Amino acid sequence: MEPFHYLLVLVACLAVTAPLEWVIGARVYRRPRRLALTLVIAMTPFVIWDLVGIARGHWDFSPRYTLGLDLGGVMPLEELLFFVVIPICALLTHQAVLRLGARLRPHGRLADEAQRLGGSPATGSRRGEGARRA
Amino acid sequence: MPEYTLLTALAVVLVVTLDLVVIRTRLLATLGFWLTLTIMWVFQIPVDGWLTRLDAAIVRYDERHFSGIRVFFDSPIEDFGFGFAMVLATLMVWTVLSGRSTRAEQRRPRPAARGEAEAGMGAQGGA
Repeated sequence: MEPFHYLLVLVACLAVTAPLEWVIGARVYRRPRRLALTLVIAMTPFVIWDLVGIARGHWDFSPRYTLGLDLGGVMPLEELLFFVVIPICALLTHQAVLRLGARLRPHGRLADEAQRLGGSPATGSRRGEGARRA
Repeated sequence: MPEYTLLTALAVVLVVTLDLVVIRTRLLATLGFWLTLTIMWVFQIPVDGWLTRLDAAIVRYDERHFSGIRVFFDSPIEDFGFGFAMVLATLMVWTVLSGRSTRAEQRRPRPAARGEAEAGMGAQGGA
């Protein structure tokens, strides 16, 4: 089990946040193009930072707790996946916060932010959306 | 100043400047951002702890390159600045992109506007 320690925590992060998309209706996974573009643009500087950190000896990774698939011989696969999983968690959390807030107080501050930042109706899970919009 | 500490401080200043001054997404002025950050930081404690705890460290930090201050489960305190910058950068880019795609969605159903829209779209075409 030890080689899976890093991978397992990433899977746990995705599992814990999945209901934000499928129950609360965050609509992050369902915008795959925007999601992919966001990850590439926002995370490239952080991956470079990580590579600089590795090169400068700020940190390294235990071979005991990683799979041993080192990209370019320097960065474990899990470390790159970290920069995919954590931003997804952040986006799901933000969208869920806006949607729940808008549902709790339809004229409150979060409802206003959901309108402005979400670019789509704040309320409604997958199923109820069409009906509520109409 | 240790390098990781310095880079973290620079990253925080950079994302804050981008959000408030350059791109003007102004997420830092929203309640939703701070609630999101609070939730992310709370979950960062066990997740980062799992990565950094000294009795089974997955990511091993060189003490010479950070402040030496470890919090919760041996996480360098700088990690929380790294987390702040990552969360803000991600939400900023998503927000900018959603603005763009919203305009595109609004344009599509209106046939009258198609001529102008297609003129600027080149090879992508209409549909």
